[in-house]
Amino acid sequence: MIYTDMVCPFCGCLCDDVVIETEGDRVVRVDNACTLGTHKLMTTRKDRLKGPIMRDGAGGWRDASYEEAIEYAAGVLLDADRPLLYGWSSTQGEAQGLGVSMAELLGGVIDSTTSVCHGPSILAIQEVGHPGCTLGQVKNRADVIVYWGCNPTEAHPRHMSRYTTYADGFFLQNSFRERKLIVVDIRKTETASIADEFVQIKPGGDYAVFSALRAIVRGRGAVVPPTVAGVTKEQLEKIAEICKSAKFGAFFFGVGLTMAPGRYKNVRNAIELVDELNRHTKWTLTPLRGHYNVYGSNEVFTWMTGYPYAVDFSRQIAFYNPGETTSVDILARKECDACLIVASDPGAHFPRKCLEHLASIPTVLIDPAQTVTTPLCRCQIPTAVTGIDASGTAYRMDGVPIHMKAFLDLGYPTDTEIVGRIFEKVKEVRHP
Amino acid sequence: MRFLFNTGRTVAQGIGLDRKSGTEYAGATSRCMMNPVDMMDLDVESGDHLVVRGPAGEVVLSVVPAEGTPRGMVFVPLGPYANHVLGGETHGTGMPDFKTQTVEIEPTEREVPTVTELMEEIGGVAYEQGARP
Ligand code: SF4
Repeated sequence: MIYTDMVCPFCGCLCDDVVIETEGDRVVRVDNACTLGTHKLMTTRKDRLKGPIMRDGAGGWRDASYEEAIEYAAGVLLDADRPLLYGWSSTQGEAQGLGVSMAELLGGVIDSTTSVCHGPSILAIQEVGHPGCTLGQVKNRADVIVYWGCNPTEAHPRHMSRYTTYADGFFLQNSFRERKLIVVDIRKTETASIADEFVQIKPGGDYAVFSALRAIVRGRGAVVPPTVAGVTKEQLEKIAEICKSAKFGAFFFGVGLTMAPGRYKNVRNAIELVDELNRHTKWTLTPLRGHYNVYGSNEVFTWMTGYPYAVDFSRQIAFYNPGETTSVDILARKECDACLIVASDPGAHFPRKCLEHLASIPTVLIDPAQTVTTPLCRCQIPTAVTGIDASGTAYRMDGVPIHMKAFLDLGYPTDTEIVGRIFEKVKEVRHP
Repeated sequence: MRFLFNTGRTVAQGIGLDRKSGTEYAGATSRCMMNPVDMMDLDVESGDHLVVRGPAGEVVLSVVPAEGTPRGMVFVPLGPYANHVLGGETHGTGMPDFKTQTVEIEPTEREVPTVTELMEEIGGVAYEQGARP
């Protein structure tokens, strides 16, 4: 069977032009997707758990039925005083919605992987707004592209060919030649090597460079010293000129800004630079979101609770205070007494200090495959993968919801079904 | 020697993302990219092992020369190895020090642990799918 116009369930680009060929329940060929997407689609059956597993109480593991595992998960959540429901970035919007409802009923905390990737970007956006646009606008109009603190060649391999440097644009004659590419980073990445202009900043210097650029764009270049964080004033002036003379500029940034010293203040300064540039021409800004539906978690959480991540229901109302109600802080303070992890792998992405606590409390993992988190949990429930054997909604990094289609049936329940069944058990005890 | 500890995504790490128990993933995330001049100072060659000490503990990585990495900084792909030395401080933002930690690095003869060994050290219990009855 050949399936066309399939959506790749890997990164926030959500490429929707993928062609997948199957023989029986095996994927034999993938066209159009990048290495990352192809790899995920081709190896989807590997490492999948056959069924739920639980600790056997004697230092090992045993098989369990779905019913038993769901019962256990609900029990753990109901027994907890401060349950943490974490993850939600590689699953469907439908499951995210149920997760929020369940967190509310439990009086728990629900947080997505946002808190360790673009959480600071959201904090900045909450302060000064988001001058965003869809990627279609960028593809068809943008003649200056900035990638700041990110490495799309490695992390979003088709971003440049679908939306920027290598993409044809409706309003550009010769897109490849007409589009200028500016890359700013603390190390010379692969993306940097193809840039028209590469700006290498000393680690921690982003904030100062944004401020210098803002001053220059505003006509106050006189206050800028000869070098700022390792960047010469000459180069800054050149960059400012390129940005000002753009017809349509698109600014993309990655976790290089959100994780650097200054965190959300860097992003705030970036947005204010874009604001400044908009007094001369049209500029937009988009965070490069990692997991394919991490943006969806922000959308779903926001329209249900008013807050995009780190939502704490312990006060019976939605409360949000990143730095306090974010997962890393809750785990590092050893505050939660049970954890439900859905479709994410903190074992690979959280600091050791947090994992030590995770391993010491009853943790239930809902994830299709064996991951680094598996050894840390007490029970794992495998589910179908959205975009492969489950259909559902995901949001692209520019906020466009896309329907993910399924093309296989491997007999696994969906995340929505499992979260829904746990929620049903919770409701039997704690009535809404 | 002290280094700024920078972590981030790479294609090789990304490929391993959905199959994290594989040795590919361990290989991709246990690399420590370092400026060749710093490598000379430490007297190590490509593939030699380093012990990295951070606030939460230490981990053994293998060194890879990388011209693009400035002196005084090491780059380690996002993953369980990099995180094995990190503490839980977020400076009130929810975001740990993924790119802003300073670490102490020295050459070692010790072996690079497997991902499972790392998790067991933290209190996890290894699971083997094949070994099921
Ligand atoms: S760029 Fe992202 S969404 Fe597109 S094919 Fe690659 S991994 Fe998939």
